Amino acid sequence: MARVSVDTRKCTGCHQCEIACSAWHEGQFRPSLARLRVEADPASGKVRAFACTQDRCGKCRDACPEGAIKTRSVPVKVSSGTIQCTVLVVEPDECTGCGVCVDVCPLKVIFLHPDTGKAVKCDLCDGEPQCVLACQNPLVQAVELRPDQPARVG
Amino acid sequence: MHFYCGRILRVDLTEGRVSTEPLRTEWLERYIGGKGLFLRYLWEELVPGTDPLGPDSPIILATGPFAGTCVSTCSRLLVGFKSPITGTIVDSYVGGSYGSEMKYAGYDLIVIKGRAAEPVAVSIVDDDVLLVPASQAWGWTTSATERWVREWAGRDTRVLSIGPAGENLVPWACISTDQYHKAGRGGGGAVMGAKNLKAVSVRGTGGVSVPHIREFMADTQRMHREYLLVDAHMWAHTDGTPVLVDPVNGAGAMPTRNFSGGEFAGAGNINSEAFQRYRVRKRSCYQCVLSCRNYHVIDDVSCEGPEYETIALCGSNCGIDDIGALTRFHVACDELGMDTISTGAVVGLAMDLTERGVADYGVRFGDVEGYLAAPAAIASRSGIGEALALGTRVVAQRSGLPELAMQVKNLELPGYDPRGSFGMSLAYATSDRGACHMRAYPVSDEILSGLLAADTLKGKAQYVLNGQNSSSLRWTGIFCDFWFPDADQISQLMRHVWQRPVSADELMAVGERIWNLGRLLNLRERPAVEPDDLPAPLLERSLDNGPAAGNIISRVAFHEALQEYYELRGWSRDGVPGERKLKDLDVDVRLQPEREVA
Repeated sequence: MARVSVDTRKCTGCHQCEIACSAWHEGQFRPSLARLRVEADPASGKVRAFACTQDRCGKCRDACPEGAIKTRSVPVKVSSGTIQCTVLVVEPDECTGCGVCVDVCPLKVIFLHPDTGKAVKCDLCDGEPQCVLACQNPLVQAVELRPDQPARVG
Repeated sequence: MHFYCGRILRVDLTEGRVSTEPLRTEWLERYIGGKGLFLRYLWEELVPGTDPLGPDSPIILATGPFAGTCVSTCSRLLVGFKSPITGTIVDSYVGGSYGSEMKYAGYDLIVIKGRAAEPVAVSIVDDDVLLVPASQAWGWTTSATERWVREWAGRDTRVLSIGPAGENLVPWACISTDQYHKAGRGGGGAVMGAKNLKAVSVRGTGGVSVPHIREFMADTQRMHREYLLVDAHMWAHTDGTPVLVDPVNGAGAMPTRNFSGGEFAGAGNINSEAFQRYRVRKRSCYQCVLSCRNYHVIDDVSCEGPEYETIALCGSNCGIDDIGALTRFHVACDELGMDTISTGAVVGLAMDLTERGVADYGVRFGDVEGYLAAPAAIASRSGIGEALALGTRVVAQRSGLPELAMQVKNLELPGYDPRGSFGMSLAYATSDRGACHMRAYPVSDEILSGLLAADTLKGKAQYVLNGQNSSSLRWTGIFCDFWFPDADQISQLMRHVWQRPVSADELMAVGERIWNLGRLLNLRERPAVEPDDLPAPLLERSLDNGPAAGNIISRVAFHEALQEYYELRGWSRDGVPGERKLKDLDVDVRLQPEREVA
């Protein structure tokens, strides 16, 4: 279990993660449609970042009146090998574009695509999260695939 | 189309009219983008002899093919205009996020002409372009102006703005974006001020397309790994430009007390180590993984920078080693919208003249109080600022000591005294916009690598020529000098643009073509554009102190090197490009033949 996480103390606000995300999903460099969001304030230099926490949150899935947001388990490549991750995926054929998911998302990282009208969100790029690859500076490395704490038992 | 938007925006402030038109794609193979495309457009847009502060004088915002893509450093924006300081063309570059955003909004270039009757801001959101009344913001600082624009245009809006200095037509007023990024040199802020143009904001939700985008991303990331995120460039991340203080001061080339000395005793108080004590954060320009920007908190001042040139001109050149005062001065210039190089130079000159007793500007070397009051006085043209806002040349002439003004073509010298780096004399003299370190940079090998002797002009004509050609090429991208990609590296990216094999030689020819086009543009502005020369003391006098003291460039050696440079360029003895050279380079414009006197 893991999710994309941006360490805002390390992040320098270059937006390469958003650029890469849009390239992968949209086939063009169009960060306004990125599935994660970085806000960098030029005055203070401070950065805020928003990335889907998948089923740790799950509000979009739970709220979808069509049941169009599915829980899937996908293998995701990390430096040490492959780990199995849970992602919430929008099934486009079932999505009616009602926008309920957008309203309930606490981080505003699910939105209706301006061309298709259907909801889109982070799907960990078929197991190769592009945002993580694009955060290249070894002295920064703010975007990472962060393993969740194992669920407490008993 | 790929890499480019294929569209330019025109704004006529006099008529309050905006329009779009297709990008002149027939120019792309010759000039690529950025500097090349700007100059080619300017050739058409600028009527020779136009008053830079008149309504017909254009401001052109230009991007390169890689703005908005994943190529690091290439978010840079070119702000181009005819300079109110030098009368030359000026292409001034600024980082931040504006260039990328312009592409997302769908524009490769923006051409702004005319003069609004009342202060305005241009608001661009994708296809929607509006002129917004800006009278209420007139007089505001650059940061207040940015905040104001974001309030009505949205948080993600990028803003170009001027401060009070630009409104008051201070010749070296600059253009500000993302608060701390400046298109610094040559007076673009005054050109905007003369148009009653307070700000140009842009927000884009569109995209930039490239062929085979996943392969392009992988190739770019490979280049970042192999060429950018390597030891040769990581100083920009770990230190930033303050790292230059120690080597330049150590070589005796750090402007000290109005260029009288080359070694500053207080350098250790304003070097990289000193600034690192106050560093709180690193930041990047848009799409750049290098992240060279440094945020500092010193006393009660929180800011980004200062960079080396500010440290040199506003620090050592003013005899100031108080890091808090220097940072305050830097922030004041940023907020008022003034180039720190020219501001530091004119304040250093005022100190010099006051110390000599030939004038009294109430400021002396190292005097913090008078120093800190100077930027506001200059920006408002009040008190000592009334005179100082005329620039070093006029101020020095008025005191009967014109040789104390350290300028070329009326643009003040940046942070390298050529007596400590001889090649810089030729670089300053032959730059296309007056004294500038961003066209050719012999400091790199005369001081930093130490591969070349700093106290001779032998071999420097070729070095300067190569530097100018390759910088012209880099600024088509628009790449940043903290990467400094060579033609071979750029060719690896241009293959994706042109979808064919591209050689480094072919690209170096583009750089040379662009440099020659710039020369033609400046020659077209004769006689207002002055010949290539340097202030006499730099050629004839030695520095008072430091390792380079005793070195004299000499007028004879300088003129020999200048003639060698013209010859290598294929230019006449007066520096006019020959027909053969222009034909070889496939430059597609020509000067009108001079009218024969009957």
